[in-house]
Amino acid sequence: CARDNDSVDLSSYVDTIEPADVLYNQGLANLNTGRLREAQRKFQAVDRQHPYSEFARKSNVMAAFTSYRMGRFDEAIAASRRFVNLYPTHEDAAYAQYIIGLSYFNQMPEVTRDQRDTQLAIQNFNRLLESYPGSIYEEDAKAKIRAARDQLAGKEMQVGRYYLERREFAAALPRFRLVVEEYGNTRHVEEALARLTETYFAMGLASEAQTAAAILGHNFPDSQWYADSYALLATGGLEPRQNAGSWISRATQNVLVRPAGG
Amino acid sequence: CNASTSDVLNMSETFKQGYVVDEQTLALVPPGSSRDQVLLTLGTPTTTETFDNEVFYYISQTRERRAQFLKPRLVDQRVLAVYFNEESTVERIADYGLQDGRVFDFITRTTPTGGRDQTFLAQILSGSIGGPSAESILRGGR
Amino acid sequence: LTPAVGGAIAVQTLTMASAQAAVVNAISVRGNQRVAEQTIADFVGYQPGRNFTDSDVNDAVRALFRSGLFSNVSVVRSGSTLVVTVEEFATVNQVLFQGNRRLDDDRLRGVVQLAPRARFDQDTLDADVEAIVEAYSRTGRSDITVDASVVDLGENRVNVIFQVVEGDRTKISRINFTGNNAFGDRRLQAVITTKQSNPLSFLTRNDVYDDQRLAADEERLRRFYFNRGYADFRVISSSADVDPSSGNIVINIEVDEGDRYTFGNIEIDSTVTGVDPQSLTSTIQTRSGRVYSAVDVEDTLIDMSERLAGAGFPFAEVTPVGNRNFDNRTIDVTYIVDQGQRAFIERIEIAGNTRTRDYVIRREFDLAEGDAFNQILIRRAQRRLEALDFFSTVSISTRPGSSPDRVIVVVQVEEKPTGEFGAGVGYTTGGQDEGVNLEGSITERNFLGRGQAIRIGIGGSQNSRTYNISFTEPYFLGYRVAATGNVFQNRRDFGDYEEVATGGSVSFGLPLTDDLTATAGYSYSQTAFNADGADCTDLPGDPDANCSAPGYVQTRIASGRDRIKSSVSYGLIYNTIDDRNDPRSGLFVRAIQEVAGLGGDARFVRSTVDASYYVTVSEDAEVVGLLSAGAGNVTGIGRTVEGFDQFQLGQRRIRGFSYNGIGPTDAAGNFIGGKTYFNATAEVQFPLPAFPRDLGFKGALFADAATLFGSDVAGAMNTNMEWRASAGLSVIWQSPFAPLRFDYAWPLAKQAHDKEQRFSFSVSSAF
Repeated sequence: CARDNDSVDLSSYVDTIEPADVLYNQGLANLNTGRLREAQRKFQAVDRQHPYSEFARKSNVMAAFTSYRMGRFDEAIAASRRFVNLYPTHEDAAYAQYIIGLSYFNQMPEVTRDQRDTQLAIQNFNRLLESYPGSIYEEDAKAKIRAARDQLAGKEMQVGRYYLERREFAAALPRFRLVVEEYGNTRHVEEALARLTETYFAMGLASEAQTAAAILGHNFPDSQWYADSYALLATGGLEPRQNAGSWISRATQNVLVRPAGG
Repeated sequence: CNASTSDVLNMSETFKQGYVVDEQTLALVPPGSSRDQVLLTLGTPTTTETFDNEVFYYISQTRERRAQFLKPRLVDQRVLAVYFNEESTVERIADYGLQDGRVFDFITRTTPTGGRDQTFLAQILSGSIGGPSAESILRGGR
Repeated sequence: LTPAVGGAIAVQTLTMASAQAAVVNAISVRGNQRVAEQTIADFVGYQPGRNFTDSDVNDAVRALFRSGLFSNVSVVRSGSTLVVTVEEFATVNQVLFQGNRRLDDDRLRGVVQLAPRARFDQDTLDADVEAIVEAYSRTGRSDITVDASVVDLGENRVNVIFQVVEGDRTKISRINFTGNNAFGDRRLQAVITTKQSNPLSFLTRNDVYDDQRLAADEERLRRFYFNRGYADFRVISSSADVDPSSGNIVINIEVDEGDRYTFGNIEIDSTVTGVDPQSLTSTIQTRSGRVYSAVDVEDTLIDMSERLAGAGFPFAEVTPVGNRNFDNRTIDVTYIVDQGQRAFIERIEIAGNTRTRDYVIRREFDLAEGDAFNQILIRRAQRRLEALDFFSTVSISTRPGSSPDRVIVVVQVEEKPTGEFGAGVGYTTGGQDEGVNLEGSITERNFLGRGQAIRIGIGGSQNSRTYNISFTEPYFLGYRVAATGNVFQNRRDFGDYEEVATGGSVSFGLPLTDDLTATAGYSYSQTAFNADGADCTDLPGDPDANCSAPGYVQTRIASGRDRIKSSVSYGLIYNTIDDRNDPRSGLFVRAIQEVAGLGGDARFVRSTVDASYYVTVSEDAEVVGLLSAGAGNVTGIGRTVEGFDQFQLGQRRIRGFSYNGIGPTDAAGNFIGGKTYFNATAEVQFPLPAFPRDLGFKGALFADAATLFGSDVAGAMNTNMEWRASAGLSVIWQSPFAPLRFDYAWPLAKQAHDKEQRFSFSVSSAF
């Protein structure tokens, strides 16, 4: 019983066309009064009815911002990415790229889960710094990259601790080393050095344990982790002695500054 | 089921983890052989360390598991340390056994991390719970 | 100085000749209807005062084309003005579908390329029409017509409308096999997934013809024959032709079975020094003389590799070499062990786990980072991850590591909903609470992504209410021990009195090997007896009491104290059944002992043993035989066994009698159960000829025998050991929901006071 649809008037499917500026201003009005869903619909209407017009460009970036404010990150990313591709040289493009980074940053899962969104946040903030150097969002982008890297370091530590608990030292060591070598400027480097001390000590590699503890003490003298490592070495009659040439001291040479707040 | 009774009851499994030590190839890297030769014959080390100069560590462990529900117990651990001198040729090879290791409790405190976590309610409401499943529609009361 | 448009061409040739720097400081755009001038200037990269060389012109043209908005573009420098003329593509305003009922708008929108704001061109439109037809044919509807129309909205914008006329489903009327004599058509139809249409096909939708599915079916046929000795089996052709009269599809599959082989002599030879072939013989499952089977060869490979890995040869690779000798139709298999490529795992990276936590996946691996790369242990981990049933797909792949002998294992998972709002309707005859019972439950099998399971269930029937909360941690304290905590309350109304049992239990499942599991647990329950009317409150033997409860219940009610049972239980379960819902082979043995007496009123030791052995009697006719037996005994500790703790036999032990319808009775004739029971069953299951294979109906003939005897309850009668027997037939329906079972039994040997019940229906979960 297929519906008889010859009589349907095709034009009824066309939504009435309103002038672009009217729609755009309605969108702005809704946005200011906080009716985000309504604002988004207006901006999308401009974009659809007057594609590639001047107002379409303006409402595209506003639609992206509104979606972000509403927490609909996928839509915000899609709208921003369309803007950046269509108008790469426009001064709003930096803002659109910034929104992409923010959208991924806000979906960063906690450490026991897949850190894809964290990596995407870093990638997009880096693209912001490279393609739009000197933009007003630079400082915040840098801070957010540091926080995202801190999260990646947290994941490495979590897997490292998983293997350490099971005394699978061959698996744990490379994980903690990675944090010290590549994530030296995150908050996890203190714990990584302490875990290295524990691992080497448990394996019976006394000299490495001492070196790791010495580096920890040298860089973070008042850290609780250093106190723990010192106590641990004391049980074996050892005390931290830095072996200058060791990879640990080489890796942390350039990280003497205390890690910035995460 | 043709498993003989001995198969049924022999529950214990052994796991050889980490680097696989091969006595013959060990003999191929006497003191004096070059760093590349060690890399070629013994393969990439589990981890490296640089005293005054470089050291390669090949870590291998053997575990035994009496029954599938038990944790595998460490029964043997061998750390093969290849020490190089300034010209980065093999100076000596040391062998650390299980007896060198120490057993102690690791620190339980961890550095706090952020990121979104999912509460149970969010899990239920976020649609990750499917609708009534087919099996449960016709389940007999016992 | 902007030259008049007419003169532009002449001026253009002039500037082309002049070599001085071509600085432009004005731009004029022509031909754009909708795309704003500023946007085009952006694409072209125009800035006033910028030097615009020839290569810039080419870049501008390329940029304009790349934007995909223009069908034709020209960029010309005339004097200091950049002249850009464009011809715009029409843009799609809306894409609409009409007449589509089987596939909704969203599904079709996903299939077509034209979309709002996209550019419109004719060949994309034609491609979309094809795409829609293809989408429909994949759901089994090939007779369908799609035509597209375009409505011009002015300003170079159009609406696209797809009109769809859907025909009805093309059914598969027949599937016939030729060349098969070892196995009949019915047996082969059971093997493949493409089925003939039948009334219930709308449920399973597998009567849809799809060439990929048919290709997969060929593979299934090959595996089926390879596992039953036909090593030379091959599918000569499989075709689907439309029967002109009915418009339905007839599938013809021609096969060549070849000869049936048995295993000849089996050898192992190893090129790896230090590997002693004799030590591996116990892993061989392909015993000479037995019928050739590909599965046995694969299982041997897995077991042998695991044995080698355990013995310190993780890189050893086992490859089977078979050579046939055609005269006595045997295949000799030689397992060759040689040194595989040395590779270590650098990292195990887990991706796609948006909900399940990293360690819940990582702990299923018996190997860790830094270990030798061993394909078999990876496959075992894959099987374990799939058994978790948290993921719709689990794919484990490898990437080259940071050095030639290092590899990175990538575990890509796709999460799926693991929670269920369960609603169950059940009907049991002759259970303790006979009749219809309802049950609602919330189950989450992956609680907070930690792999734990939580279930909250509420159930009831006319005279009973049950409430239950249970929580399971599969890795209790890091051991692979499934610990389950359970809290429950069951209320049962017996008319004159009501029984309210409240309690909790903790139980542990300890897998010893893949097939053998030990169990242990503690349970505590407190049962209150409230007498509704006055009848049951005074002591038994009181002449005017007409309380229907058995004596020991009355004394308990009169005492006014709740009855407490606090007990420990332990046991072993051995299970090699192939498929829980439709068992065809395997052995299930369960031995449990419960000791009650850690405080509380109940003091007894209750031991039970159950064994069921399934064997496929005839592969072709799909006849499955079942032999099962059970025994149970409860003895008091320092006192007699109370009525509450005695066994009561139901339909699962002997059919033809009602629940608690045999065994010792009290003076008033109420059945009070017994201290010891034995039961045995022999059953043969076979497919019902009348019903189409695909519906999953089976028939069965069975014979049961059981006895229940012995009781310490005062005044107990009929306590001697008397065998009851019955025989009957049943219909089993493997419905898509759960296996349902209808039994009809004739009691052959019975006691005068036994209560018969010939018909019984239940949703039968086998274990």
